[in-house]
Amino acid sequence: MTKLHDARPRAGPYSLAERDRRWDVVRKRAADQNLDCILVPLGNGIDGRYLTQYRSAGVVLPTDGGPPIVIVDSFADRASRNDWIPDPRLANRAWDEAMTRALQDAGMDRARVGVVGLRGGTVSHARSPDGVVVHSVYEEVTRRLPNATFVDATDVVGFARYVKSAEEIDCLTHAAAIAEGAIDEMIQQARPGADLGVLYARVVQRLLALGSEYDPLAIAAGPLGVFRTTRHTNPPHGRTLEPNTMITNEVTAIVGGQNAQEDQPILLGPIPDEWRRVVDLQREVFEAGLERMRPGTSIGELIDFVNGFGETRGGKTLILMHGRGYGDDGPLLSPRARGEKVRNVPIEAGTAWVWKPYAMSADERIQFVWGGDVVVTETGGKVLFKRPHGLVSIE
Amino acid sequence: MNAEVPREFSLAERDRRWDAVRANAAAAGFDGIFVPLCLDSTNLNLSPEQRRGTRSDCRYLTGMENAAVVLPTAGGKPIAVADRGNGNAWVDDVRAANRGSWVPAMVEALRDAGLERGRIGVSGLRNGTVSHVRATSGVVNHSAYADVKRSLPNARFEDGTDCVGFARYRKGPEEIAALRNAARIAAAGLDELIEVARPGVAVAEVYARVVGRMLELGSEYYPLALDIGPLEGEQHRHEDPPFGMTPQPGDLVINEMDAVYLGMIAQEDQPVLLGAIPDAWKPVVELQAELYRTGLELMKPGVSFAAITQGVAERAEQAGMHGWSMLHSRGFGNDGPLINTQDGRPDRTTGVEIEPNTVWMWKPSAVSADGRIKFRWGGCVLVTEQGAEPLVPRTPGLVSIQ
Repeated sequence: MTKLHDARPRAGPYSLAERDRRWDVVRKRAADQNLDCILVPLGNGIDGRYLTQYRSAGVVLPTDGGPPIVIVDSFADRASRNDWIPDPRLANRAWDEAMTRALQDAGMDRARVGVVGLRGGTVSHARSPDGVVVHSVYEEVTRRLPNATFVDATDVVGFARYVKSAEEIDCLTHAAAIAEGAIDEMIQQARPGADLGVLYARVVQRLLALGSEYDPLAIAAGPLGVFRTTRHTNPPHGRTLEPNTMITNEVTAIVGGQNAQEDQPILLGPIPDEWRRVVDLQREVFEAGLERMRPGTSIGELIDFVNGFGETRGGKTLILMHGRGYGDDGPLLSPRARGEKVRNVPIEAGTAWVWKPYAMSADERIQFVWGGDVVVTETGGKVLFKRPHGLVSIE
Repeated sequence: MNAEVPREFSLAERDRRWDAVRANAAAAGFDGIFVPLCLDSTNLNLSPEQRRGTRSDCRYLTGMENAAVVLPTAGGKPIAVADRGNGNAWVDDVRAANRGSWVPAMVEALRDAGLERGRIGVSGLRNGTVSHVRATSGVVNHSAYADVKRSLPNARFEDGTDCVGFARYRKGPEEIAALRNAARIAAAGLDELIEVARPGVAVAEVYARVVGRMLELGSEYYPLALDIGPLEGEQHRHEDPPFGMTPQPGDLVINEMDAVYLGMIAQEDQPVLLGAIPDAWKPVVELQAELYRTGLELMKPGVSFAAITQGVAERAEQAGMHGWSMLHSRGFGNDGPLINTQDGRPDRTTGVEIEPNTVWMWKPSAVSADGRIKFRWGGCVLVTEQGAEPLVPRTPGLVSIQ
């Protein structure tokens, strides 16, 4: 075990080869878009982290292969060491000045600059249609560089993030294992009479003890068959679990910045027969969906397959899946986000997803969601977790 | 849970806040206050305090985690915008963005509030005097805000951060009760830390136990900050569980123990030494306790921050050492003013003074004459008409675990 005295906190577990792979992919995509550089402005912490491993970094990455200029805040990432960018510039809370200078020093005064995070992308910042850029800094940078052209380039980094490397899949697999460890803890804690807030606290404690960064545990609990229960992302204190309560959850663990999510419904009582049929249908669509997740299949084809699967089996099924990675990954496919704009996006080898399709009875009175992290291989989707399919029953 | 601890903020508290903001807006000549869509904490992650601060104004005005808010100065009902458009007990007019751009709903809200040609105070555009103090670039989402401005060419948009900020600065009784409860939870987190921190116990395990304890007691999550390293060396800061690391005998565990109750953040700090306290440290620790008490005596309504920092420095000089002041307001996140005499940050507190019903994180440092030994301890302090009182009773000092 590492002794504290030898080890400053490190920003991530990735190799320099992984850094160069990411930079190369982004540069190539930027060149395809005739961009002279990529700018990750203040506010876009996710893409900054992808390119630098710093938690909140501004980045100017020249397309021609020149070294990136990276800006961090001396108050963020305090004391962290980072082999990827050993000597970042410090913003010292003057980000407009630092980012303008970085673009000027990279020779971008009259360049075509691709701004990452200006708008929601096709496969990244999927839940942020208005983007993630801080207004005051960006406005000032563009004002000070009147001869440069700034265009949205969210997809340039987004599609680089979309396909994972072996190192990234290792981190995601580790994170999925941690999430499953936390699910084990939830199953231990979930009993009639237990306080839901205490359960929440113990599960988060387990996630952290196993080495995950924090991400809010999402949990809902209500009588079996009642679906509009409150979703909690903080400990819901004062709620005692009753018999026949259904606990649904999204357990997220983060390793190396990679967000894994595992979903494991728990029922505090026996599983009624009519529910077993829906659980079985969910398993069938889960497995059939994995089969279909092959490189070259379009998102639209998968949506149509999954949404039509249940009707031939006396029930209903709906797609529910979204990309996995550094956060806010897409595409996002759900009953609310139907994926019309991403139907032609191909599923590729190395893409990672949380795959958790809906199965319902024909009258939609019974609804069941179960799933977790999968990665697409040449032969279809491969699960990154180990637990068996099903609704956990605690009697 | 203690009977005096609120389970939620009342409608009276809502009205108090809205009235205070409206009064500030009227004094500044604004027709309305606009809290636009702000950045999320994952993307604007400059520090734990700034993470909480990014969407603090919408939380303050609506009780919602993420909302844009239009509050007319003249007293009309506020309009909120949120992704799903779900209202709560405080706000019933909530417009949905429905996973799309927030721009159409924000523009409609401003128009419906009669602000199409108004002078609009925008909160969060820049750091304020007493809110968003560390966010020098503000917290506002660029694309959404720029599109709103383009859509309303006859409206005048100006920075109105202080209109909300100074309302947040002065706490209501319910807010003070919430902060007191958060401080109690943080103190319990310190007790857990003292219970479990030992040489050889993985730091990640300690981190998880402490966070778990605070969550059990009703806190929302807030990153525990642990600075760990040899007493005479450098302590490194961790804001996530540092996996695979164990403290050694003689290590100093410095911490910022934050607990969040009803959105309000309290902090209690208690350094812990995994070993005996060296003699050279004892006078510094004792002086720090005196500096802490000196500050408490000085913190009265109407007193300037300079008077406090000077008083602390002079007391330290009398003891032949140095004294630094660290003082910042407490509330919904990234509260100020931020007074730190250690690093010479610019003083943005001109015209601001200590007021009754303000709550502070007070953690002065004592520094040995040669600068080699530095010691800081502190916690939350409430200022009333009568003076300052800690929100939870604790005794200054360095905890030694042997």
